[in-house]
Amino acid sequence: MINPFIYFLLFLKASLFSTGGFSNLPSLHQDLIANGWANEADFGQSIAIGQISPGPNGLWVISMGYLTYGYVGALLALIAITIPALLVLFVSAGYSRIEERTWVQGAMHGVSLAVVGLLLTVVWTILHQPGVDWKGLLIAAGAFGLAWSRKVNLLIILALAGLAGYLLYR
Amino acid sequence: MKLQDPRPSKWLLFRIWASVGLQSFGGGASTTFLIQRAFIEKHKWLTMEEFAHLWNLCILTPGINLVALTVLIGRKLGGAWGIAISLAGLLLPSALITCLLTAGFKIVENLPAIQAILRGVVPATGGIMLLVGLNFALPLFRKGSKIGVLYLLASSVLIIACALAVILLKLSVIIVILGAIFLGALFFSSKSASPLLEEGEGKQP
Repeated sequence: MINPFIYFLLFLKASLFSTGGFSNLPSLHQDLIANGWANEADFGQSIAIGQISPGPNGLWVISMGYLTYGYVGALLALIAITIPALLVLFVSAGYSRIEERTWVQGAMHGVSLAVVGLLLTVVWTILHQPGVDWKGLLIAAGAFGLAWSRKVNLLIILALAGLAGYLLYR
Repeated sequence: MKLQDPRPSKWLLFRIWASVGLQSFGGGASTTFLIQRAFIEKHKWLTMEEFAHLWNLCILTPGINLVALTVLIGRKLGGAWGIAISLAGLLLPSALITCLLTAGFKIVENLPAIQAILRGVVPATGGIMLLVGLNFALPLFRKGSKIGVLYLLASSVLIIACALAVILLKLSVIIVILGAIFLGALFFSSKSASPLLEEGEGKQP
């Protein structure tokens, strides 16, 4: 059974230690799977739904919340992504005092690199699901290429991938 | 550029943020674009310079940068109320739609056709995520290639080490991030700038 308090804290922790809408994913992935509160499929699905629905990228966690814990989960997820953003008020008050320090800039560079490494783990996880075979990997490569070109809207890329899935796996 | 009086009514502020939220498809870039168009170009409540400064603060803040930006713009345009209204406008309508889409998906998820479609869509999200990671990495590599080969090499090693630490060693993500903060402060702080006063040390942005 899901403990709402722990559940909320996991979302909050993931969000507090992230920058940008997707970098909370590795932490949530680790914790929700370990607790048995989500399965691998929930992640791919909530990212896809997050891409289709409007709003900032980070709203994929709302879908994650709903998939794992209904409307309560979605609400807790929404609160968890809002709280860290309020810290910007402290940042704007204190930043001018520490921005010149070299260790701050070094530490920021370290975090940014970690975010890249962690995103790679997410890619690895998504592509290592049981349902993904060599055809799935081709679809992933195609989606990457189309997104890379910046000429095709993400919605269209996902629609094409869905069509490919329908034709290949039905 | 002459700024207009930055005191919009609460309802107008809510409507602007709601329309930004509901029109942003495909994530960050389109949201940023819509915010710039609404607040800088249309209503002239912000200058581009102010916007750039606010954005830098948001990059240093944990969580979703765009939500932090919403907080800062909301504060400028309406104080505490401005923050609450802006957040509600950006997040509530789009979060509700996300919920409804997910609920709709739950109803049809077991249909064989939907399962087949998902087997195509899920790997595609993996490919898109790879691009998200690459977009994060490119500016870091560009910075690294300006500073030197060693810096670039150390950066690449840290990226790979973080990925392997999670995949192979099953280390906690938080430990990996804290480790990266520590290693970054240790190895990536340039020696040229002189250290400032040590008082108030240890304050994290």
